[in-house]
Amino acid sequence: MAPEQMGQGMGRPGLDRRHFLAGLGGLTVAGSLGFAALGTGADALASGADTRVRYWNLFSGGDGYNMIAMLDAFRAANPDIDVKDSTLQWGSPFYTKLAMAAAGNRAPDLGVMHLGRVTGFSPGRLLDPWDVDLLAKYGVRQADFNPELWKRAVVDGTLYALPLDIHVQLCFYRKDVLKKAGLLGDDGKMVAVTSVDEWFDVLKEAKKATKKGLQTIGMWSSDQNFQWWFFVAFYTQLGGTWFDDADTEVTFDTDKATQVLEFLRRHVTDGYSDPGFAGGAGAEQFVNGGPFVWEGNWSVPVFDGAKIEYGATPLPPVFGKQATHAESHSFVLPHQADRGGAANEGAHQLAAYIVQHAQQWAAGGHIPAYTPTLTTAAYQKMNPQSEYVSAMDHQATEPKVWFAGSTGILAQRVGPIVVSATLGSAEPDAAARSMKSTLTELLAMKNPMDGKTAAQGGAVA
Amino acid sequence: MTTSAQTVIAPSRARTAAAGATVRRKQGFQHGGWFVAPFLALFALFVIWPLLRGFYLSFTDANISGDATSFVGLDNYREALDDPLVWESLGNSAYFTLLVVPCITVLAFLLAMLAHHIERGKWLWRLCFFAPFLLPSTVAANLWQWLFNPGTGMINFVFGGETPWLTDKSYAMLAVVVCTLWWTVGFSFLLYLAALQGIPAHLYEAAKLDGANAWHRMVHITLPMLRNITGLVLALQILASLQVFDQAVVMMDFLPGPEGSTRTFVQYTLEEGFTSYRVGYASAISIIFFVIIAAVALARMWLLRNREEGGR
Repeated sequence: MAPEQMGQGMGRPGLDRRHFLAGLGGLTVAGSLGFAALGTGADALASGADTRVRYWNLFSGGDGYNMIAMLDAFRAANPDIDVKDSTLQWGSPFYTKLAMAAAGNRAPDLGVMHLGRVTGFSPGRLLDPWDVDLLAKYGVRQADFNPELWKRAVVDGTLYALPLDIHVQLCFYRKDVLKKAGLLGDDGKMVAVTSVDEWFDVLKEAKKATKKGLQTIGMWSSDQNFQWWFFVAFYTQLGGTWFDDADTEVTFDTDKATQVLEFLRRHVTDGYSDPGFAGGAGAEQFVNGGPFVWEGNWSVPVFDGAKIEYGATPLPPVFGKQATHAESHSFVLPHQADRGGAANEGAHQLAAYIVQHAQQWAAGGHIPAYTPTLTTAAYQKMNPQSEYVSAMDHQATEPKVWFAGSTGILAQRVGPIVVSATLGSAEPDAAARSMKSTLTELLAMKNPMDGKTAAQGGAVA
Repeated sequence: MTTSAQTVIAPSRARTAAAGATVRRKQGFQHGGWFVAPFLALFALFVIWPLLRGFYLSFTDANISGDATSFVGLDNYREALDDPLVWESLGNSAYFTLLVVPCITVLAFLLAMLAHHIERGKWLWRLCFFAPFLLPSTVAANLWQWLFNPGTGMINFVFGGETPWLTDKSYAMLAVVVCTLWWTVGFSFLLYLAALQGIPAHLYEAAKLDGANAWHRMVHITLPMLRNITGLVLALQILASLQVFDQAVVMMDFLPGPEGSTRTFVQYTLEEGFTSYRVGYASAISIIFFVIIAAVALARMWLLRNREEGGR
């Protein structure tokens, strides 16, 4: 109604006072509507932008806030591109919608996925490849990324994902408690640990300095995802492998796995981790004064908000080699039959911009994948982010097969077995054997997306 | 008593109806048909069609994206019977049912007796017992997730100890059961209360005159008069409990619980369909589940009919 009034008022030559006021009112209303639309990116026409990029992501909470801030910065820098972003629920519902949209040719121009799930998401059919030249045009090159990370984004020689970050499992520690226990170095950081014995000595000392009623370490001992991530980290420290290169044989080493499971179990049997505080209660205990908690880096804003004195390192290299579990948020191009043109270029431009301007993203604890960010003074000043940035070079990841990836089938099947060993309802060696037989089953399973087993899927690396 | 009275009346009513029906059938459809059409349309669209489609998909290897589907015959069913997780999750649903059904039936009966006999503040009792049923499952589950929190929750605070209710496989399902009892007992309670109010007062008066004490009146009047409603409560609870899903999933943060101990059959179907993307396989196991539930419902009908015939 407002534009109509506006048209009338302005179109008529004999403009009387009443019409002028009506026209003015209409203009104000239209103007504010347009402004609102610009703010939310709701409508390309209202904002006067030439190109519209539809972008689906799964970020809520603090990550969601940071993502929107980065999008707004992009909008301010590129007024000719209208970004219409939709935030969908994290986890399986997101992937379900993305898959169905891609298959039904209603896909957005840009999406976000966990890198580990790209291989199973039928790249080539449900995902379109990135135009590397177009990315380079907007300032993003392979050389700016950790080579291992980049390799994970490439399937059959083609780039299907553009990593935004890696998110890693960390050992958070309370500086106040560790200081009391004499475990804090002169640099204000936790003393280095290089063996299992050293680690348990640290726990022993820390326990003495811990308030009554608090556990020494929170480690999500009943959570199938966390326990699986911790397993992946320590198993990688031992140099363990999963499958041979052709994905035809299971090379999983049950001796090494048993060693890891015994290590995890010992935290419970030696009384450092209380099964009563097995889940999210671990973080509560940490905030209340527990010395250690193993958590994802996304807990950084939580502990920042709690105003406690803490630091964070990658999971301790107790088996001699640095490695901590890492997964990655990455941008993908969901399949569109007619992909191309301005919207596609806009998607490249937007993804490239956000990858290069991920300083804000690091506030959420994630390590930006674009390595030039990591050496900036601004990033180096961030604490504890700069303390665990080395994790970029020591990533322990799930095998690159279709059934892997964040909260995927692999974690769902194998995770509970790790938990059963940690909590003591299965013996570590029996659990290790059971993990191996589950891996064997999964290797023989066909990917529902293309009816091929991991081996038939071809050389994905 | 009451059942045999009903069965005597029923056939005669049916005969009258049949006689009138021939005359009214045509006219009846014209009017009634239009009234039920909106329902039938939605029913066909959201129940019949998905059911038929699911049946068809169960013979295919369909994935979530819906393309590249081929016919695989009985492969999905064969795989399901060999899948340990099918049996494990079925066992979990059965275990839940076994715990919930007797507890809820007894509890609903006791609460109804209480609300029926207490003179003061009757409305308050009824409201208290029924109100939780009005909550959405997510609200109830979140509430109990807080109550069961090992460190800060009220349950451990009141009863002492540090019982890991939600993170230990031997307690997790019990926690879900307790939440379910609190949340859903109100419905059965209401059925019992209505039935109690429907028992004619003169039966109790006559018994009193004959010298029956409170215990005798309960055993010989109240319980027999509630037999039908107990059958109904049991049947509804069994069918509802076998389909347990939402409260368990929310209480366990959308995971299958410690070591998979609260993974119900419905949850496993969901996992296969929407995490593993195996829509064909998920359809097959949900058809298996459908058959099991239908068998339970039919078995109940068969038992009921036998009992009625025996009673006649």
